[in-house]
Parts: sequence; structure tokens; C-alpha cells
Amino acid sequence: MKKDCIAMLLAGGQGSRLYVLTAHVAKPAVPFGGKYRLIDFPLSNCINSGIDTVGVLTQYQPHELNAYIGTGQPWDLDRLDGGAHVLPPYMTSKGSEWYKGSANAVYQNIGFIEQYDPEYVLVLGGDHIYKMDYSKMLEHHKATGADCTISVIGVSYEEAKSFGIMNVNPDGTIYEFEEKPAKPKSTLASMGIYIFTWEKLRKHLIDDEADPRSVNDFGKNIITNMLNAGEKMVAYRFSGYWKDVGTIDSLWEANMDMLSGNEIDLLSPTWRIYSRNSASPPHSVGENAIISHSLAAEGCDINGLVYNSVLFTDVTVEQGAYVEYSIIMPGAVIKSGAAVKYAIVAEGAVIEGGAKVGASPDECNGSGDWGVAVVASGVTVGAGKTVKARDMIDADIR
Amino acid sequence: MNDMHGILFAYSSDHRLKPLTAHRTACSLPFGARYRVIDFMLSNMVNSGIPDVGVIMREDYQSLLDHLGAGRDWDLARKRGGLRILPPFAYAGGSREAGTYRGKIDALNAIQSYISFIRQEYIVLADGDLIVNLPLEEIFERHVKSGADMTCVCTSRKDNGYAADAAFVRLGAGEQVTEVLLSALGEDVYPCIGVYILSKDLLVNLMNRCNAENSVDFTKDVLQRYYKEMRIKAFVYDGFAARLHTVADYFEQSMNLLKPEVRDDLFSRSRPIKTKIRDDAPTYYSPESKVKCSVVADGCSIRGNLENCIVFRGVQIEEGAVLKNCIFMQDSHIGKNTNLSIYITDKEVTIEEGCSAKGHRTFPLTIPKGSVVELSDMKGLFDKRSNEKQ
Repeated sequence: MKKDCIAMLLAGGQGSRLYVLTAHVAKPAVPFGGKYRLIDFPLSNCINSGIDTVGVLTQYQPHELNAYIGTGQPWDLDRLDGGAHVLPPYMTSKGSEWYKGSANAVYQNIGFIEQYDPEYVLVLGGDHIYKMDYSKMLEHHKATGADCTISVIGVSYEEAKSFGIMNVNPDGTIYEFEEKPAKPKSTLASMGIYIFTWEKLRKHLIDDEADPRSVNDFGKNIITNMLNAGEKMVAYRFSGYWKDVGTIDSLWEANMDMLSGNEIDLLSPTWRIYSRNSASPPHSVGENAIISHSLAAEGCDINGLVYNSVLFTDVTVEQGAYVEYSIIMPGAVIKSGAAVKYAIVAEGAVIEGGAKVGASPDECNGSGDWGVAVVASGVTVGAGKTVKARDMIDADIR
Repeated sequence: MNDMHGILFAYSSDHRLKPLTAHRTACSLPFGARYRVIDFMLSNMVNSGIPDVGVIMREDYQSLLDHLGAGRDWDLARKRGGLRILPPFAYAGGSREAGTYRGKIDALNAIQSYISFIRQEYIVLADGDLIVNLPLEEIFERHVKSGADMTCVCTSRKDNGYAADAAFVRLGAGEQVTEVLLSALGEDVYPCIGVYILSKDLLVNLMNRCNAENSVDFTKDVLQRYYKEMRIKAFVYDGFAARLHTVADYFEQSMNLLKPEVRDDLFSRSRPIKTKIRDDAPTYYSPESKVKCSVVADGCSIRGNLENCIVFRGVQIEEGAVLKNCIFMQDSHIGKNTNLSIYITDKEVTIEEGCSAKGHRTFPLTIPKGSVVELSDMKGLFDKRSNEKQ
């Protein structure tokens, strides 16, 4: 059946700047915000915006991500017509190849898109935290008669140097795209969210594929080529919380942002973020526990002291354990006498009694050595052992 | 596959549970911060590999239907089998009057055609309002191995509200049932918790005999009358098992969840209790909150003081609230500087700023679904409830 707009979600990236956290999972499957994974945000935005067909392009370490998406049911994306589809690279009679870049990934799935004969295609990343109504962006795209609409957000002049920047005419049309400019002419950063009129995107994907010099990237190649070809490119301004969680620091900060409730109200019932729920019991707070300015998900057993932290599903904090400014991912155990500060403890990691993970900036005396400590999934930090600030541990310390 | 079929009796509620059961059955009573009572037996069945479950309902079942849906949250939305809702259906010879079934046999007679199409050899009959996490697979294996005609599950514990209305059995060698009683006569009897395993053929035979004798009650007319003709074995379960008859039971069994050993029994990791998913965010605890000995679901915002409380999904507790031994059901809003103890709010109750009230273990104050309680209302409400009690 014909669809007005379908989404293609780019979920194949390695997320190498998350280091040990993405050693075994694709970046969109990284846990976030107490019970979510990064991909829950774009998937929930899609269904809340009325987009019921989403192709999820996977390539790097896809098992956990594929299992997580499953039939798409947690996001109401199990549909007779449309729904969520995981799209890995595949073999054809001409051979097979990996996705060479984001544009090539969509190019290889032109056949998938054409099954739905869409007028418009929404192209999204799988690694940003935000709530956005894509249907409003689509209205804007239709109203302006654009060939491509790019969602942009105002950033500071300094930040602008590290983003893809759109230089925009007073009427909102884009005349230039600059990747990480040394001297930004504008502070409108691309959010990596594009709506294309499919007919135009199709043509440019085919042209791009035919160009041997292209690196087949949406930002670098498709957008630039469309600008050069004189297509109508329009900026769509977004205001609200939006955060790229591509690095350890930004992942930690974005989790901390969830505590204030001002940035994104996860409790708001009008734009719910859906996720695959575990069948965990309610969490319990024990007799000697303190939990302050923190999030706790179901299945937690909290008997220690927890300040300014995010506890994911099924986390155990034993009596006499201390946790502050930390992100404790599903199933991790912080044993009695352990201290975890300014750290990310990944899924199923165990911090034994007396171990110390991370340190506060004060303890580092501003020596420049401070940073978020990371314990990778399944790793045990043995009794009395120390993981220094900014250290990253991907094997047991005993 | 273990060749068992599940039938849940979800038609009866004790009137002493009102107002909690004013608009629902005991099976759809919210329990344990995120569950409905029926989740326990339904999950027990699913966890033991039972592929098909029929749920018999008769009155006030709208909230139960809403909760169960197509059974997807228990993985029972299947192309073949899965969850089957069995609402009232007039059958020849049965009671066509309004009101509940007269007994389990009466209820089973109403689903005769459903029973005739059951594809499994064995049937587990269970009360839908049991709060327990049984190793049903093990019980079934033991039933088959023992060669018994029927296995009934009993409890060895005296502390779980079972003394009220159950069949009691006396056991001989090899856990053979040697006597069936309707009240606890003597110390050496075990209360049955209302879970029976028998073959489909035997069940149909027993139903036919009861029909010929115009009898409807499973305990009296089947167990007590025929236990000598059959080999009935007991499975004595030592873990937590509860059934709710009164509001005071509801309160007491909820408070039992604050004990880690009870939670370990009920929420075994290998046999998780599944429920309808609501996609709430994790719960937020503010810097001014003080919480101890409490069990809390997702989606709450906690800014006050909690001690010995059960907090369901989406509850908001404002600053300065001092709450002890309370149960707050889904989406309740507890205002600033409230002071409540031994207090139950049903779903979507609002307690306005400054209210204070105290119930008693024998009489927990219970605020019906959707009510708003203002400061000036409190005394009047308490008087009204005390009168009702008398």
C-alpha cells in the first residue's frame, strides 16, 4: 500500500567514541536513561508522529539490536502493512557488499523503500536523545515545496565548530553546508534528521553510487551534491532538548540531564518513549538506603547510598555501598563497601566490596586527569581494587 | 511441551473487598505495585510451559478484559490456542439468572464446549485470585509420576490468610489425601490453595456425575464426596501464598511484600511474573525525599517521606508528605504536607495538600477510585466509613 512518508533509521554505526561500551553492541542499542536504549527515542518519535513504517539499517554488531527491535511490537510497529524492518546488508546476483556509508546503506535498500511507493522519506540517526514531532517537519517540507528539509538547532559559536553547520538565507533556504567549520558563519547545526522528496533522493542516491570518489555519506555527499545541483534545501528549526550521545562524556551528561526533568520530561504521558520492558518486579528501597536526586527503574534492590545517579533495571546497590553521579546499567551489582563516583558501570558488571570506581573532580584537584570512569559490561572489579577517574576497564581486575 | 491446559476461575469476589472491588473482580485487583492479582497464576501457567489458558468470568469483568487484552503481555496471543476469555454464556440446565456461578462445577458446565475442544491430556484448575509463584512444572511432573488421579496444592504455612475459606486435607503416607474437611479441624490439616491438576477425562466424568446429582461445588461435591474413590495426592508448597478476602487482608498481604523473603518467593528470577506493560519512565527521587522499606514501581515522582509503603505506577508524592504503611495505586497524587498512615488510595485518587488521616491494621482507610480528598472532607469521610463498617 502506498505510504505518504516512511523512515529510514541509520543504525549501523560502530560508535567507536563510546569505546568499550560499543565493543559488543551497536551504538543504538546502548542503554540510556534508566530503562531505554538510544534507538527507543527515534522509534518512539516515529510512532508518535504517525510514521508506521521504519527501515532500521544495521551492520555493526547487530545481534543485540536485532533482538531488541524484534517485531517492533514495543513501539507498536508490528504492522500488517509497514512496521519496523531490520535491514542488514544482503547478497544479490551481482554479489554482495557491506554498507559503505550512510547514503550507500539507503541506496542498497531502494527496493525496500519502493515497496511502499512513498512521496517522502525521513532519514534519521539512531544516536540522539530528543522528542520531536516529525509530522510538523513534514508539513513544513510540504508547505515550502522543498526537495530536502534538514532539521537544525541553534548551538553556541564554540560548539558550532564541531557540528555540520547550515548557512541559511532569510527565507529559510540553505545555501551552504560546512562540516565542522573553523570560523562558523552560522550557529545552526544539522541534527542529522532529513526529509527528502523521494523522487529527488532516489536520483541523488543513484548518482552518488555512480561516483567512485564519493564516500557515500549523507552529510558529505548527498546534501552537498543536492546543494550544488540547485535543489531546494530548507532548514527546519527545532527548539527543545537534543543531545548527541556519541562520546562517553556526552552519554554521561545526557543521562544526568534526565535527572532534572526540565530537559526531557520522561514522565510526560503525551509523548511517551516506548521500550522493550523486562518483566522485573517493582524496585525496593531498604531500611538503611538513601536515594536522592536519582532515577531508579524496576527490578532494582537499593540498600546503599545513591546520590545524583541513574539506576537501570535490576541493579543491586548493597547496604554500605556508595554511588554518586554515576550511571549503573541493567543488572550491575555494587557490593557492600564499594564506592562508585562519576562513572558508567555497564550491564552486568560487578563492583566488589571495598573497590573504588571513579573519582569526583575535587578529588582530582583539577589536575586535568578527571573524567568519567567506565567499567564495560560483564566486568568484575575485584575487592579493594581501584578504577581511576577516566579509566576504561574491559577485563576483570582481581 | 508438558501437555497441560490451564483454566482460571476469575468470576468471584468477596464482597468484603469493597470498595476495592466496586468496579472490578478480585482477580483484577491491583497488587504489588505493578500487578493485577491474576498476573500471578497466569504467569505461573505460562512459566510452566502451559500454552493455552481459559479464563472464566461472570460479573464486573470489564477491568479484567482491559488488563488481559489478547494476552500478548503473557505471550499468550497465539494463532493456535493461547488466551481464551470465557465470559458468561447461557447453557442448558445452568442458571440463567444474574449473579455469580454457584460453584466451580457450575462455572465449568458453562464452558462445556470449550472443555470438549481442549487438546491437552491434563488440566490445571486454579483460582485466579491466588497470589503465589508456584513451580507448576515440578508439580505436574510429580503428578504424572505418582500416578494419582488428582493432585491438589496445599500450603504448610498458617500465616497467609488461607484459614478463612479453603478445603482442608489430612495427609497419609506419600502425601495421599486421607480426609477432606471444610474447616481446620485439628493441627495436622493443610489448607488447599485452590490449584488442582487432573486429566481432562476425569474432569469430564466428575462434571457428569455432579450434573446427575445436581451438585455444583468442587470442594464439597467432588473432593469431599469422592476422595475415597480417587487417589488424590497433595503437593505441599512452603513458599508465600495468599488470597484476599477483606480489605484488611489486602493491606496485610501487601505489607508482606516489604519483606525481602516474600519478594524472593513471589518474584523468582527464573519464573518472572508478567503484567500489562505501560511504558512508564523510571521513578525519580528528589533530593528532599526520604524513603525506607518501600516497594515502588516505575513512573513515580517521589518528593516526600515514605516508610513501609507500596507505590504503584505513575504516583506523584509531593514535598513534605509523611506517609507510613500506605498503599498508593496507579496515578494517585499525594499532596504537599499530607500525613497519612495505614491508608489505601485506589487508582487516580488525589489527596489535597495538608490532609492527614490514620487507619488501623484491622481497618485500613480506603479511598475509592478517582476520588478527591480535601482537607475539610477528611473527618466526614472517616465517619462515613466507620458507620459502614458497623
